[in-house]
Amino acid sequence: MTTLATTRRSVLAGIGAASTLPFLPRRARAATPLNLGVLRLTSHAPNYIAYERGYFAEEGFEVELVFFEAAQPMAVAIASGDADFGVTAISGGLVSLAQRGAVKVIGGALAEEPGIPGQVVLASNQAYDSGLTTAAALPGHTFGITTAGSSFHYMLSRVARGEGFDIAQVEMRPLQKVGTIVAALGSGQIDSWAIVPSISNRLLAEGQAKKIADMSQYAPDYQVTTVFTSSAIANDDRARAEAFLRALSRGVNDYNAAFVDKTANAEEQAELAALVGQYVSPDVPAERFLETMTTTSMRINRDLGLSVSSVRDQLDWFKAEGMVPADVTEEMLIDPSFVATF
Amino acid sequence: MVDLSPARQPREADARPVPFRGGGFAPGRNRWAGLVVFVALIAFFEVGTRTGVISSLTMPPPSAVAQTLWRLVETGLLWQNLGPSLYRLAMGSLVGCGAGILVGFAIGLFTLARAGLVPLVSALFPIPKIALLPLFVIWFGIGEGSKVALIAFGTFTPTVVATFGAVDGVDRGLIRMAQSFGVPWLRIVTRVVLPDALAGILSGLRVSLAIGIVLLVAAEMLGARYGIGAYILEAGALYDLERLFAGVVILSVLGLLVSAGIGALERRLLRWRG
Repeated sequence: MTTLATTRRSVLAGIGAASTLPFLPRRARAATPLNLGVLRLTSHAPNYIAYERGYFAEEGFEVELVFFEAAQPMAVAIASGDADFGVTAISGGLVSLAQRGAVKVIGGALAEEPGIPGQVVLASNQAYDSGLTTAAALPGHTFGITTAGSSFHYMLSRVARGEGFDIAQVEMRPLQKVGTIVAALGSGQIDSWAIVPSISNRLLAEGQAKKIADMSQYAPDYQVTTVFTSSAIANDDRARAEAFLRALSRGVNDYNAAFVDKTANAEEQAELAALVGQYVSPDVPAERFLETMTTTSMRINRDLGLSVSSVRDQLDWFKAEGMVPADVTEEMLIDPSFVATF
Repeated sequence: MVDLSPARQPREADARPVPFRGGGFAPGRNRWAGLVVFVALIAFFEVGTRTGVISSLTMPPPSAVAQTLWRLVETGLLWQNLGPSLYRLAMGSLVGCGAGILVGFAIGLFTLARAGLVPLVSALFPIPKIALLPLFVIWFGIGEGSKVALIAFGTFTPTVVATFGAVDGVDRGLIRMAQSFGVPWLRIVTRVVLPDALAGILSGLRVSLAIGIVLLVAAEMLGARYGIGAYILEAGALYDLERLFAGVVILSVLGLLVSAGIGALERRLLRWRG
């Protein structure tokens, strides 16, 4: 995997450098290597955009993309120093690593916003036909999660809070991977799930599941993913973290303009979708991927602003559920000095 | 060329006693050495983590693991997790080892079974059973079925191989003697082949059951709310090293108990060997 990425990157870098070199602002800095942890999800589009359009290179980084299958291993890789930055949901594992002084949240990314596509609660066709047509009917049914303390687990807790039932009445099924949950929901092995629109729309379009609620109804200010890095970089290498956030923010701006606010023209949309698609869904035709991007893209916070109130709510929930020690503080998890907070 | 002239013979003054050197390598018994290794290792990690030489990211203090284990016992969580795991392990290995012993005997005794089944078993053995888990979920459902089936499948092949090996190893002279005396076929199998093969079968069971415990964690990856494997996976996801190690200790103890149980069974069933 790594060798493949290296080859592709060096080829692309070569082409990119040859074509854009005259327009680049001159920078005296030599390129610093930087390992960026990414998932093959549309929510990681700004990473790919900033990478492919050379925004990282302009800040003096030589970026190596490190691909992961789930959020949890990415957090561990950042703690171990195998990756420098990552964007992913706040999980129990991330909080534990923050408490041990290994990682810090330095910015916000994917967020729920009214009027913009958001995460939805799905029911399997079988469960829907037998009466699971609203989220209020969830007690007594099964719900798919990757692992305890994952964002799926948290979303179920918010639904339970909003509908006023005890989360213990829903039987959680830990299935480790998103792909397995998709298969289990499609075949009716589990009754329900909550997921980002890019995946839920596909399931709904293929008739594999039914929508029963919008997540924004229960968690309107939900900060779904955050930008995080190792404590060493956040504390001792501020300039590097700031430069990284600047470059990624440019990717976010392009992404929001093209797919969320739709202020960019069709040509720009198609170009960005092609650029992201090669990493996220290389097997999907370009037109279809463009449609997915324009219809299901969630907001990514401008300049990677961070909803501290949402992160606080998530942290309090982890503590209340006993998944992380009660003595974890907000200061251990977040360094709010890098981006705007709200 | 040996020079035996009197002048070359050693004088009386050079003579000295030669100690006996041919003791051979004979590892003796020392019941304390094992314990000392354990205690030293635990003490090393305890001191290392307490003083900060070993980062809390890499190892939890053993005392914190012990506390976690104690809390598991106190809160009843241990039984909540151990119960389903023991059920899966018992059912899975009962089916897997039971079928394995039967098939192993068939292969050991009948030409047709040997010719037909040995290639099949050899083909099944190297399949990573974990890779088949998603398939098992579709076949046997996401509940207990797929977990029991995974453990049964995983313990089946090593049991077959151990059993037919043991049956092959039965003293041919004894079987021929029984046949010469006109002992019926079934009696030869139950009174000659089975007792003689038992030692090999039991030592095969040691391996099979250890594989069963390994597969327990894999089986509980999918859809298990409770179970030692699920507990370990959850601890890993939460990066809770104390809980992770507590779960690992429980699995180790489970392995020791299974091994001790088979040891007791061996002493009982093989007493006739003297």
